[in-house]
Amino acid sequence: MNQDRRDFIRKAGIGALAGIGAAAGLIPLFALEKTDLSVFSDKPVPGKTRWGMLVDTRKCGEGCTECIVRCHHDHNVPDFGKSKSEVKWIWKSGYEQAFPTASKQFQSSDLAHRKVLTLCNHCAEPPCTRACPTEATFRRWDGIVSMDYHRCIGCRFCMAACPYGSRSFNWQDPRPALKTLSPAYPTRERGVVEKCNFCSERLAKGQLPACVESCPEKALSFGDLNDPKSEIRMMLASNETMQRKPELGTLPSVFYII
Amino acid sequence: MSKFLRTAVAFFIAIAVFAGTWLFMQSGHGTAAAAHAAVPAAAARVVPVDSTRCIAQTEWMRAHHMQLLNQWRHDSVREGNRTHVTRDGRMFDKSLNTCLGCHASNPMFCFMCHQYANVKPTCWNCHISPMESNK
Amino acid sequence: MIEKALKGSRGYWAWVALLLVLIGLGISAYARQMSLGLGVTGMGRDISWGVYIAQFTFLVGVAASAVMVVLPYYLHNQKAFSKIVIVGEFLAVSAALMCMLFILADMGKPQRVLNVLLYPSPHSMVFWDVMVLNGYLFINLISGWAVLGAERKGVPPAPWTRPLIYLSIPWAFSIHTVTAFLFAGLPSRHLWLTAVLAPRFLASAFAAGTALLILITFILKRVAAFDAGQEARSKLAVLSAYAGTANFFFLGTEFFTAFYSNVPAHKQSLQYLFFGLEGHAPFVPWMWLSVITGLVSVGVLMAPSLRRQSNWLIAACTGLVLSIWIDKGVGLVIGGFVPSPLEEIVDYMPTATELSVTLGIWAIGLLVLTVLLKTAIAVKTQE
Ligand code: SF4
Ligand code: SF4
Repeated sequence: MNQDRRDFIRKAGIGALAGIGAAAGLIPLFALEKTDLSVFSDKPVPGKTRWGMLVDTRKCGEGCTECIVRCHHDHNVPDFGKSKSEVKWIWKSGYEQAFPTASKQFQSSDLAHRKVLTLCNHCAEPPCTRACPTEATFRRWDGIVSMDYHRCIGCRFCMAACPYGSRSFNWQDPRPALKTLSPAYPTRERGVVEKCNFCSERLAKGQLPACVESCPEKALSFGDLNDPKSEIRMMLASNETMQRKPELGTLPSVFYII
Repeated sequence: MSKFLRTAVAFFIAIAVFAGTWLFMQSGHGTAAAAHAAVPAAAARVVPVDSTRCIAQTEWMRAHHMQLLNQWRHDSVREGNRTHVTRDGRMFDKSLNTCLGCHASNPMFCFMCHQYANVKPTCWNCHISPMESNK
Repeated sequence: MIEKALKGSRGYWAWVALLLVLIGLGISAYARQMSLGLGVTGMGRDISWGVYIAQFTFLVGVAASAVMVVLPYYLHNQKAFSKIVIVGEFLAVSAALMCMLFILADMGKPQRVLNVLLYPSPHSMVFWDVMVLNGYLFINLISGWAVLGAERKGVPPAPWTRPLIYLSIPWAFSIHTVTAFLFAGLPSRHLWLTAVLAPRFLASAFAAGTALLILITFILKRVAAFDAGQEARSKLAVLSAYAGTANFFFLGTEFFTAFYSNVPAHKQSLQYLFFGLEGHAPFVPWMWLSVITGLVSVGVLMAPSLRRQSNWLIAACTGLVLSIWIDKGVGLVIGGFVPSPLEEIVDYMPTATELSVTLGIWAIGLLVLTVLLKTAIAVKTQE
């Protein structure tokens, strides 16, 4: 375990849990007799933590799709290809598509061809939760913009409201489009909206998000934006970074080094 | 009441309704709390948990597991309160997977009873049932 | 009173039968949509609303326009509107009903619709829209029905109907304003993100709604020998003409702001709709058809010598309804999704299933309108 990772786990207050206990009770097949529940703190203080991510697009390998494959596998994201029914949590977009208002004239060819990882920004002022009529999508105590699939009525207001195209609707039953089922996480049902959840199920176990963990280039960093001493804050302080469409006031929690 | 008074009252009510509506609209949508905490999460508490016994009596579970699961869902998804403490002080993660941790050993555990009672819960539309995960 | 709708000529029953067939078609298409999911429509990840929401938007306008007869009749005592006012109220009822059906048809999980009320979310404009639309439907249904019932008995309407009718006036404005806010509050959908959307919605609603009302009076004159009166019609024609003018004025201001400021994001949707964007131009002929028929129709309605002739009046009203239906019932909603947040241009084409459901909902609305108007006319003509 490298220093960053240990740091992250300690900061999240769940160090005792890094061992095998974490998996118990969460993955039915590997349930153990004794479970360590220290990770499950009681009702958290809202607004104390704000999880955030920093994507270093310089390190992100061309043609590499490790994180995407891993995320979509772990979360049972159906594969409908690039059709109108497409469902995606994390994907690569062109630089100009991800940052449409960034300067486009006379840019380097490297930048023009750069692929940028795009995912839900877990905005601090999310337009999607404002539009949702049932609070099926809501901003959690830790800054994660979460989906309650049990409650969503499928009105797709959040999709019209999200300025980043981060949300996908289940236009048809997702199950037939899953090659392998990953039993630790549920699938979705036809008729609800889904999107990246910042791996809240892994955070509860003291693990880093799957994409962060799977990246061979260590291009992704994750941490608490509200903690000035966190690694991500240090990196934000020492690098020039960008957020997507900052002019909209959504305050994204995903940052980019270009 | 004089005409002026009536107008004034009407005006006041209009303002009050407007202000009330505005407050009401704001209430459901608190802005992001900008609390900067040095220590991000609660200090670790190490509690060994015994999961050899169910969280409650079989009879009670048979009658109330659906309400319990609904409550767990609400607590863990929406409140972040994931620890269930039983009467006798044991602790469990509020998750369907906690139940399945034991009960999945019999893949038909849920189905037999539901079939007998002729109920069709929608859980397995999304959650992976033991019948599927044990395949 | 409703039993009066059970007596009718052969033509009446043929019309009802036709509507029932269309409703059956719509229900079977909806059953298909329910079993396979909304994937059977032309909507997708990028254009996530289609015909359903567009029709909803158009029909909220039709519902709101009842105020154009209620307001002059009850507030300004315009006796010319005495016969048409009930037509306007019942048109509002059926339009509001269609609105709600279109919303239901668009939902991925309609069985959970009550969640909107179980978890009221005042920060969501949908919550307010559901409130005001339901309220509007019942206000119009109750007041219209009560006034009609009183008329049948030959007594003056109960005193409580009056405040209810007065309430319906601001309420009519509210339904369309809230509907505009559904769109106008979404960041980065630049076609909608404009303060002029609500006024423009109201203007186009009053233009198309009153034109539709005029057309209905012509139909009633023809098939039910019920004449709402030439005077009422010509007064409505003037209202419609001015509302139509305001609508095109607002559209013009949109063009000015977008193209003079030259901000790409503001221009793109309008370019897509009216001129084509990067080779995608599916709506261009439709949008120009809308603008040209709309302007010509407004011109005809403005000219007193023309609008006094029934043929011209019918043609101009049809033109105006068509124009605004294209603009609001197709272009506005779909154009708002182009380009997508990731700068992609995706075209949308409704499927047969989607169109059948749409047709079915229109048929339900028309059936309700037919039954309500049949009752009203039977009472009015003392059959
Ligand atoms: S990126 Fe979109 S979906 Fe994610 S929080 Fe922001 S507005 Fe919501
Ligand atoms: S589709 Fe679901 S999550 Fe999105 S706004 Fe509607 S109810 Fe909320």
